[in-house]
Amino acid sequence: MGNRLGLGTTKALVEVEGKPLIIRHLEQLENEDDIRVVVGYQAEKVIEVVKQYRKDVLFVFNHNYRETGTGASVALAARYANEYILSLDGDLLVHPEDMKMILACQEEFVGGNPVETDDPWMLQTYERDGQEYVSAFSKCMGNYEWNGLTQMKSSKMLKGNGHVFQLIEPFLPVRFMNIRTKEIDTVNDYERAIEWVRNGYK
Amino acid sequence: MSRYIFLFDLDSTITKQEILPTIAHKVGIYNEMYRLTENTMRGEIPFKQSFLQRVELLKNVPVNEVNNIVRDIELNEKIVNFIRTNKDRCYIVTGNLDIWISGLMHRIGMESNVFCSKALVKGDYLEDVFSVIDKNAIARQMILPFVAVGDGNNDAEMIDAAEIGIGFGGVRDVAPSVLACSTHVVYSEEKLVDYLERLV
Repeated sequence: MGNRLGLGTTKALVEVEGKPLIIRHLEQLENEDDIRVVVGYQAEKVIEVVKQYRKDVLFVFNHNYRETGTGASVALAARYANEYILSLDGDLLVHPEDMKMILACQEEFVGGNPVETDDPWMLQTYERDGQEYVSAFSKCMGNYEWNGLTQMKSSKMLKGNGHVFQLIEPFLPVRFMNIRTKEIDTVNDYERAIEWVRNGYK
Repeated sequence: MSRYIFLFDLDSTITKQEILPTIAHKVGIYNEMYRLTENTMRGEIPFKQSFLQRVELLKNVPVNEVNNIVRDIELNEKIVNFIRTNKDRCYIVTGNLDIWISGLMHRIGMESNVFCSKALVKGDYLEDVFSVIDKNAIARQMILPFVAVGDGNNDAEMIDAAEIGIGFGGVRDVAPSVLACSTHVVYSEEKLVDYLERLV
């Protein structure tokens, strides 16, 4: 809900270099035809911004956003979806090249990057035949930071009230994918994100 | 196959124009009608009172003339196609009067699948409205899980009671009361029909 940023707006509407995060997502998803935006806090504001940019979006309400986690939002959006759903948090910036790689991926994965933030959920991984797999989500230890990105079969994501990773946990191990992202949670994150975009995502 | 029944609002959900203001425009009393319609959609006047006031404005227009205007109104054809294709599971729920919408219902083949308000006719003129629909009551009668699609304040309770309640903003803004209780809101007819087809 954007509280830690102190900007008084839902994080999806926070602007980086003059453009709201949600619009940055929509630009990267230009060729996708089933886009679902889950709205709760400041729903009308989010709807207004999105529909100015693109009309053929399905808005899904999570009216209980105060009592539930992002997992509940994903579960609502997963109803009657395609075989796979790609879930992106509203407060995330994704490297454009990595987004292309994600959109080309035809299987389940859990996304992460090297640990960067102060209080992350981490991914424990192992390697088999040259491919890394996520075996657990953990607060204490892990090789990577979970960045909220995942692609899973929609039929597996239909129930849950907590975090997105709690929906995924019963189905581990799942392929790991290293994805360059910036999560915008604090003012420092925000400044880092702006810098990242300005420098061409370097 | 799902067991869903689909309930559709008529005005500015199936139709591309609002019915009563369109009639009023054709018979030269648009401004008064527009004001009343807007107040009603926003939920500032109870639907029943507003509807009766609006009917009063059109009482002196021959029923047949109104029926013809309504029959020829522009429609959201993709929604109509969905309804025609899934006719046995689709119902239209509208506050409008049976005597005014019968031609339109015939045009889209939904004469037997409509819940609406009813009136008595004498000669070619409306004599009395004898029932005004309560969309909430229709929703409460449903046994099977249902999907409801609408945009106005009088659709809110039906949308709230639905397993899947969809606010449709393709013609006009969705009423705040609908936004407050719908499970989904959509602003493109194509996207609405795409989602409805997944629910069949």
